[in-house]
Amino acid sequence: MALLEIDRVSKRFGGLQAVSDVRFSIDERTITFIVGPNGAGKTTLFNLITGAVHPDEGHIRFDGADITHISPNRAAHIGIGRTFQIVKPLGGLTVLENVMLGAFMHTSSPSKAADAAREILNYLQMEKAMHVTARGLPLAMLKRLEIARALAIKPKLILLDEVVAGLPTAEALRLAELLQKLPARGVAAVGGVEHVMRVVMSIADRVMVLDHGAQIAIGKPEEVVRMPVVIEAYLGTKYKELGL
Amino acid sequence: MRRAHWLAAVAAVVLSLLVPLVVQTDYKLQVLFRIYLFASLGLAWNLVGGYAGQLSLGHAAYFGAGAYGLALFSGTLGMSPWLAVLAGVAGAMACALLIGGVSFRLRGPYFALSTIAFAEILRLTAKNLPGLTGGDVGVPVPALFHGNINRSFYWAAVALAALSFALTVVISRAKFGYYLMAIREDEDTALSVGIGAARNKLAALLISAALTALAGALYASIFLFIVPDQVLALDVSNEIAIVAMLGGAGTVLGPIVGSVVLETASEIFKNTFKEAHQLIFGVLLVFVVLFLPGGIVGTIAGLLRRSDIPGEGA
Amino acid sequence: MDVYAALQAVINGLLTGALYALIGMGLALIFGVMRIVNFAHGAFMMLGMYVTYVLFTRTGISPYALFIVTGTILFAFGYVVYFALMRPIHGQSDFMQILLTLGVGLICTDAVQLIFGADYHQINIPLQDTNFRIGPNISVNAPWVVSFGIACVLALALYLFVMRTMTGRAARAIAQNRYAAPLMGINVFRVQAISFAVGSAAAGIAGALLLPVFYLYPGVGDQFTLKAFVMVVLGGMESIVGAALAGLVLGVVENLTSLYWGNEWALAVDFAIFVLVLSLKPSGIFGRQTV
Repeated sequence: MALLEIDRVSKRFGGLQAVSDVRFSIDERTITFIVGPNGAGKTTLFNLITGAVHPDEGHIRFDGADITHISPNRAAHIGIGRTFQIVKPLGGLTVLENVMLGAFMHTSSPSKAADAAREILNYLQMEKAMHVTARGLPLAMLKRLEIARALAIKPKLILLDEVVAGLPTAEALRLAELLQKLPARGVAAVGGVEHVMRVVMSIADRVMVLDHGAQIAIGKPEEVVRMPVVIEAYLGTKYKELGL
Repeated sequence: MRRAHWLAAVAAVVLSLLVPLVVQTDYKLQVLFRIYLFASLGLAWNLVGGYAGQLSLGHAAYFGAGAYGLALFSGTLGMSPWLAVLAGVAGAMACALLIGGVSFRLRGPYFALSTIAFAEILRLTAKNLPGLTGGDVGVPVPALFHGNINRSFYWAAVALAALSFALTVVISRAKFGYYLMAIREDEDTALSVGIGAARNKLAALLISAALTALAGALYASIFLFIVPDQVLALDVSNEIAIVAMLGGAGTVLGPIVGSVVLETASEIFKNTFKEAHQLIFGVLLVFVVLFLPGGIVGTIAGLLRRSDIPGEGA
Repeated sequence: MDVYAALQAVINGLLTGALYALIGMGLALIFGVMRIVNFAHGAFMMLGMYVTYVLFTRTGISPYALFIVTGTILFAFGYVVYFALMRPIHGQSDFMQILLTLGVGLICTDAVQLIFGADYHQINIPLQDTNFRIGPNISVNAPWVVSFGIACVLALALYLFVMRTMTGRAARAIAQNRYAAPLMGINVFRVQAISFAVGSAAAGIAGALLLPVFYLYPGVGDQFTLKAFVMVVLGGMESIVGAALAGLVLGVVENLTSLYWGNEWALAVDFAIFVLVLSLKPSGIFGRQTV
């Protein structure tokens, strides 16, 4: 049974069809990337999964249960973690405290939460920044903080919205290495990115391509990259005809 | 809490209780009563406004509920005064349930406006139902203490301040406190880690309302008579918020410091400028927002942190 | 049921409502468009009343002519307040803006109380004795009619300012996208200052027009701050026209409430409406549903 099932989901905002008839499923301990330019519907899809918005049509199932009309904090409790495209750190708190907030889902004790948080921060190589107030951190650290905080809730699935956007390539690749180890920790990851890149190619099990809210391709990275529909969507009809 | 801090707190309470041995004048004890009372009010407000970051400008509703609860439950319903106080607290918490239930769904300025609207509705209702509340004429309040009243009320205020302080310390160091702060910093992020924002905000408000109502009952009882414009007015809500902001919202000591500074300044001002002693409130508020957003305690804590070698966060 | 009493209440309500509309439109510009949470709006109206009062008692000129002077003074005052106090905290949270403007309002109110005392004042002008009759059962007091006329003209002027002038358009541009606006060459701070000043002037002028028909005392502004927010919310946040209509609605509702339940409940009904609208349709009665 798949961990997450998106079953013919559509969402419209006023005149804009943000997501239309998307259907795919995610298995446990896999890494999937949803590829599409800004406005393609990736964030909307993530919002639909976490319950920040609800679909007009279709169903979403997680771990067998129907979560079509779930609320965001309920989604976190059943094992869906997320990071935000525009990072949302808890600015006035330290890095450690930020991650503790996630750890608190599984304990009421601040000291146990701190221990759990420390472990995750070590995993993400952020120990040195533990007592720094989040507000002053550079982007690369903030992105790691988002991930750390989401991991602290011990999710089965983590949604990473534009997690490498804005990062220099070296940092993006370092992050990718860490993400690659997530399935071994029991976490399935779904990342949203603007276009296929080295990161995606190197760690994705599967890639799904969104164009204007519609799903136009899904498969292994090296297959998807060669599909005519994908090339057409990204480079235009001319290139498709040239057979590139 | 570190041992040294705990001992300091206990010492402070004990010293406070011993003050009446030295200070005997009625006037001075009344001023001290007011300082400790507003410290309690500031601490109570701080849970919602400081830690949870929800700007309530309608706390007079709970203050008035406590005051009128004492007056009406003992007067019309014949309850014994202390039982009436508890009834008033229950009433205030019921109000909090309603006010919070509606207002917490609103973001930004709408929340503040909603709290003001509710407090005003309560005030106007109290004014316009003389049969029930005595209207503008007011209603008598039973004395909670007899004998050396000023000293007894002072001790009661110290006790309430100590209780509020203890609750603040416990909450700020527990999971609940962290959850409130997360809600303050970014509610969407808080939801994404499974924090039930509505539930937690409401819990903070209920505790805050209960403490505020206790203070309201004490205040009413020392005056033996209350009118709506005295205990349900915007001025009361403002003063409570300013005490906390001036001292430092979101800090444990802030509201206490804020009350000492504000109430002392207010007293001095009152003696020089008979009317318009509230001018000092406005000036201090503007000053705090422009120059000391963390309040007195917050700013000092910030300066100390910067001069430390990077180590433990505050 | 006396139909004429109700009709009289409605007409009085519309007359009152026009002044409310002026105050509400001012706040709609400041808060609805510029997103500046101004809790001192009513205090500015109060200042307008006192300024006019002083000028009237000194010169004997009618408030219906003095309002121009009052408006100018409040415009300047608003401009200065914006640059001195609001600009430094530009970009900070609503929380801080509310507290700052709350403080400004307190300072205004108490400074006035210090100077003029807490007593109620009233002015007398000959126009107060004139009444117009509409049919045998309805009469309207002249000052209200005059202020209605002036308020309507100013409301129209305000509408044209927001919709037609460059500054007004710039203000709406900032409201729609505060990041893109400076990129279009808009001097955000100047436009905000002017909008704040215009909104304050509107409040001040409403105060001047209110002087002949209302009691003057330092705290008179508080209820108007709240009423102004009620109007902006009812009218649908950014809508200047919505706020104006809401003002008229508010005036009528208050007068009808006074008629059937008594004066004391009028203000309470305002707040009840406010709470209801916020809970049920936060985008306002006249507003558009935004995502």
